[in-house]
Amino acid sequence: MPLHLVLIVPALLAMAGIFHITPQLTRPDLFFSVTTPPDFRRSPEGQQIMKRYRLIVWGTSLAAIALVLVFGVPLFAVLLPGLGFWGAFLSARRQAMAHAAAPDPVIEVELNAPEERLPGGWVVAILPILALAAVGVWASFHMDQIPRRMAVHWGFHGPDRWVDATPAAVFGFLAVHASTSLLLIGMAWGLLHASRRIATSGPSAEAERRFRKRMVAMCIVMAYLMGVPVAVVLLMPSAPDMTIWFLALTAVIVFFTVTLFQLGQGGSRLASTTRTTPMGDRTSDVFWKLGVLYINPADPAILVEKRFGIGYTVNFGNRWSWVALAAVAVPAALGMVFLR
Amino acid sequence: MKLRIDLNSSNPVYRQIVDGLRILLVNGELNTGDQLPPVRRLALDLGVHFNTVAEAYRTLAEEGWLDIGRRNGAHVIARPLPSRPDPETEVSFQRRLRELAAEVQARGFSRARIARELRLLAENLERS
Repeated sequence: MPLHLVLIVPALLAMAGIFHITPQLTRPDLFFSVTTPPDFRRSPEGQQIMKRYRLIVWGTSLAAIALVLVFGVPLFAVLLPGLGFWGAFLSARRQAMAHAAAPDPVIEVELNAPEERLPGGWVVAILPILALAAVGVWASFHMDQIPRRMAVHWGFHGPDRWVDATPAAVFGFLAVHASTSLLLIGMAWGLLHASRRIATSGPSAEAERRFRKRMVAMCIVMAYLMGVPVAVVLLMPSAPDMTIWFLALTAVIVFFTVTLFQLGQGGSRLASTTRTTPMGDRTSDVFWKLGVLYINPADPAILVEKRFGIGYTVNFGNRWSWVALAAVAVPAALGMVFLR
Repeated sequence: MKLRIDLNSSNPVYRQIVDGLRILLVNGELNTGDQLPPVRRLALDLGVHFNTVAEAYRTLAEEGWLDIGRRNGAHVIARPLPSRPDPETEVSFQRRLRELAAEVQARGFSRARIARELRLLAENLERS
């Protein structure tokens, strides 16, 4: 049995474990992306829906493991658990919709809520992009000092993809990573200035602020991890060893995954609710297509909390969301073309 | 200090924001120099269009309560109260009170309940 097939097994088990706990990470009054009374998930009907969801998740994951081990086809490892998860989620959502409740129409906003800022301010946030821009300026005057071949991708055993360091490739490489950094920094800004504060006061608001702060920090750290190594690659005479970078990236992903799971979506696991009327995420169920796509042209928010899982998603109904996505996607796509 | 709006109310959101902030201003909960959230922030948190909040701020600015600065920030300014209301305001006040009483009566409030609420309001006003 090849090693990579054996390694798929713990990965599939870990994935099933994540799918297993995901419904517990959401806000208490959002059950499989449907607004329900906060205590619905503890009711017999709620528990029945949860049980069925987990049965499908584990059933398909174990079936995928068996198929991979017997037939040795890694495609099963990706397709089957993915399909199983989606099937389980959509089925649970359909059942939960029968118990949907109208969210509280009364909205309270704290007028004295503390202002939230990017950690370290703008300069710290845009430093990775400034670094890439500086390398770009330097490269435009010193193309002769850049190695003829440059590594653009790394695997477990070092660089595994090389390209000729033509001006198009160099600037394409910079554009791809600058776009990725820009996307992450834009997300950090958007979390603070283009997303809704759901809890307005008390422990829930404080927990939500902590969650948002952690998300913002994650975006900034990832922007550094995406941007800075590119400068190193272009400035070093030979392909650098990226082991430290891999370790740092892994450590960052693990740290933020674990701590965000501990906080729960919007910090909901830190502060218990005493509400009986659901508040949800202050969006209406009708704007959530398939429970995951938020499309509400009347909502000024560009980023909204995901209803299932941890983190934020884009309001696809807001035209500024498309402008922001295009601003990042176009240079990234052009960069990829130049890198080929 | 909270601003409260009801999305199911027949009263437009813009009017609810104006009314809610004016209550805080009149009661002295918002004082001269206090900063209000920027238009964008308040609109995001309420889930309403930016123009709805901007219009509410403009209305209060026209009444002399707010100074709307750059970047859509607004802060409370000193507003001397008129020594006596103009006759139009007096007539309008009485008419609106009668209209409100009739409206809630039509929705099931008893006359006694309305009188009790008005007395309570009067007592609070006298105390403040």
